[in-house]
Amino acid sequence: MKGPYIRRSFLHGIALMLGVTFISFLLMVYFGPDKTYELLGKNPTAEQIIEVRHALGYDRPFLLRYGDYLKQLLTLDLGLSDSSGEPVSSILSRTLPISIALVLPGFVLGNLLGLALGMLAAWNRGKWLDKLVMSASVVGMSISFLVIIISLQILLCTPYGFNLFPVRGWQVNGLGSYLYYVTVPTIALVLVTLGYNTRFYRAIMADEIERDHIRTLQAYGARPTELLFKHVLKNSLIPVLTRIMFSVPFVVISGSLLLESYFGIPGIGLVTFNAITSGDQPVLKAVVGLTGVLFVLALMINDMLYSVVDPRVAKS
Amino acid sequence: MLKTIQIAILLVLLMLGGCGQPPATDSGTPVKIYRHAMDGAPGSLDPAQAASIYANFVVVNLYDTLYRYKYLARPYQLQPNLAVSMPEVSQDGLTVTIRIKKGVYFSDDPAFKDGVGRQVNARDFVYSIKRHFDPDTRAQGAWIWQNRIEGLDLWKTEGSDYDIEVTGLRALDDHTVQITLTQPFPQLVHTLTQGYAAIVPREAVEKYGQMFSSHPVGSGPFKLASRDSTRAVMTKNPDFRQEPFDLADEGYDPAEHTNPGLKTLQGKSPPFVDQLEIEFITEGAARWNAFSAGEIHFIKVPVSQFDTLLGQHNPLMLKPQYDDMYYFEASPEAGFIYTNFNMADERIGYHPDSEQNSRNHALRCAMVKAFDWKKNNEIFFYNIGQVFPGIIPPSVPEYDSNADATYIRHDLNGARKLLQANGWDKDTLPALEYGFPNSVTERQAFEQFRNFMMGAGYPADKIRPMIFATYGDYQRAYSQGKVALINSSWTMDYPDVENLMQLYYGPNAAPGSNSANYNNPDFNRLYEVSATLNESPERTLIYRQMNQLLMDDCASITGISRTLLFLWDKKVIMKPDRSFLGGYFMRFVDIADPANAVP
Repeated sequence: MKGPYIRRSFLHGIALMLGVTFISFLLMVYFGPDKTYELLGKNPTAEQIIEVRHALGYDRPFLLRYGDYLKQLLTLDLGLSDSSGEPVSSILSRTLPISIALVLPGFVLGNLLGLALGMLAAWNRGKWLDKLVMSASVVGMSISFLVIIISLQILLCTPYGFNLFPVRGWQVNGLGSYLYYVTVPTIALVLVTLGYNTRFYRAIMADEIERDHIRTLQAYGARPTELLFKHVLKNSLIPVLTRIMFSVPFVVISGSLLLESYFGIPGIGLVTFNAITSGDQPVLKAVVGLTGVLFVLALMINDMLYSVVDPRVAKS
Repeated sequence: MLKTIQIAILLVLLMLGGCGQPPATDSGTPVKIYRHAMDGAPGSLDPAQAASIYANFVVVNLYDTLYRYKYLARPYQLQPNLAVSMPEVSQDGLTVTIRIKKGVYFSDDPAFKDGVGRQVNARDFVYSIKRHFDPDTRAQGAWIWQNRIEGLDLWKTEGSDYDIEVTGLRALDDHTVQITLTQPFPQLVHTLTQGYAAIVPREAVEKYGQMFSSHPVGSGPFKLASRDSTRAVMTKNPDFRQEPFDLADEGYDPAEHTNPGLKTLQGKSPPFVDQLEIEFITEGAARWNAFSAGEIHFIKVPVSQFDTLLGQHNPLMLKPQYDDMYYFEASPEAGFIYTNFNMADERIGYHPDSEQNSRNHALRCAMVKAFDWKKNNEIFFYNIGQVFPGIIPPSVPEYDSNADATYIRHDLNGARKLLQANGWDKDTLPALEYGFPNSVTERQAFEQFRNFMMGAGYPADKIRPMIFATYGDYQRAYSQGKVALINSSWTMDYPDVENLMQLYYGPNAAPGSNSANYNNPDFNRLYEVSATLNESPERTLIYRQMNQLLMDDCASITGISRTLLFLWDKKVIMKPDRSFLGGYFMRFVDIADPANAVP
């Protein structure tokens, strides 16, 4: 049963990919930033405007440009940045691992802690522990990411606080330096995501705990850890997987713009932001295309994992 | 239990904090590193595309230009850089001959034969200027020399073939350049100080193509070691020419230059630091935190920190605790902020009907009167910006302290009377678009502008925000006449008021730099006369007349020059600059020996 299911998911994925790239390209061409005036001198003539538009390929027919875009995505030959002249593939290969290394610890910790706290709150639903965890989550969700970043910088990175970590930089050449640079951004990321994760996981766990089979197991005298990890968590895996899988493209591609910007980390989030503000379409096209591909891949993998954790999905 | 957890967390933090201190140098010898922060990042490092102040800062450290400004002299004075001396100019001002220093080499690079950098010659200069007129370069500096150099525009029209000689731009021999101008161009030498005029080797441009912009090959004091979206690291060019620093020649004045470390530079050959690191930090809070933590040596202080730092306004002084730690300088920006009226827009600008034209003039003048520069300065510039009438800022010698100050006087009654006398009321006043690129500060500036206009009786819904995602999109819109009120700023390219006057010269109308589409025949005629004159009282008088014409026509609500605050670590010996000298100052930065610290 799984073979046809995977093939079907794959074909759906390709169709989705074409749709996503077409719409995003259309939006970029007609509504995206225009690099022309960024590249013109201070006192341009009408002829120079035409020259620059021609050099940027803006005067080419839309479908030809879209065809080139698809070809670029397929061959991974993504052209050169309009701003720095660097090959876009080099930019991505340089910045992508940095963003992953930056966000991954926070992403994993944020989800694990969220899951643990969610389970704890759900198991104690209605009691003071549940109220405490939920109230703390709301507080966490209410504080701006920016406030958290700046406060942590002052507290942990400057002489006004503990001055233990760097405010900026990413000169990573081993585990020690990695921990040195990643710790504060990770704490910031965990703090900002923990509230959302905890509330989400608490909601699905509480729903699962209410089910008949859990009550039956409780009546049989099953231990809480067995109940929670073997039955509640296992049966809640579909929404958990969905949330995690669909967060992955964000983690991989957009990194965290604010973290990269405030901690001076040369990841893909910052590159994307600069591409948007400067109208660097080759970079923007690559990032948008890659995000689309990753989303579709996440969707496909998610579908496949559904069939693993719940075989009824593949049968249906 | 809680206490144990707290202690455990603190121990982990302490352990992590200690485990990743930046590595020491391989050789173990002390390396002088100067860490500079800029509030923006360069896009391209190709001199032909060095349009932004950020790109220019980096480019002039990687490449050589024929001229630069003296490190310490103010007002700015020209100084030969790669040129042997100041240019020889013919009697008629049309032929300029420049000799280039011998024995200057490009850095080693695979682009050269056997990978060894060759000598810089006059043909390299000719090639570098020609590139601006080659559409394939996507150059941004052509406007400076457009219609100025004999045959150069024609060379472009005929296909930009580098093997074809341009009559007005020739290498007479390996070390002599001759430029023939179409008309006297007194600002020529100033233009040769800019990053645009930096000298690039043809081999490298041809080898790297568009990637040349991220693979610089120059003969400047530093070489690029690495660069990403957050920083550029440059190392000292060991082959940079030995030219001992001469305090007197650089404009040193003991009364003005009180930093005692400057004297220690005498006789040493720049660059003085081994490594130059420029951090690109756009967020003010992050910049301040990095500076406070000692990770960078210099910052342009974000306005949000002015209150924290400053003890008093007049004269500007740091609070004692900061005064002990840092050197400080207030630097007026060479440029100004303005709101142009789109004079090509019949709702507010020129109108074929003379009566309506006159009413529009009154409307503009009423809006000028309604603008409150004092409040604008207070809210956005910490009250240390310099407000002045017209477009000649106090930072240039041509500034007229006796210019008509009524132009910047907040006069709501006068504005209301003017509107009433010319038949404007809330029903007849036109709805106008106020354009700006998307940012919180720009939005705040719009709200303040609208509030000022409401004070004169302008309905709030008739001053409408027109917001753009990028400055490029905004520029496209106002160049196409879609914006009635154009809020923008101009930073001077060289210390000559001609660079400001061309902003309102009729033939430079949109899409050119004259975004106001101002077109006054008297102004145009005076511009054409002044453009060929050397600095003189006669030229200053003409500039002032032009300034008055602009104010009489109420073509722009102007102006204010920002005052920038620079702060730097006391162990760094330097006089920073963000104006015409710009990035050139970095070759003269030195780090004081801690064992022999500057008192």
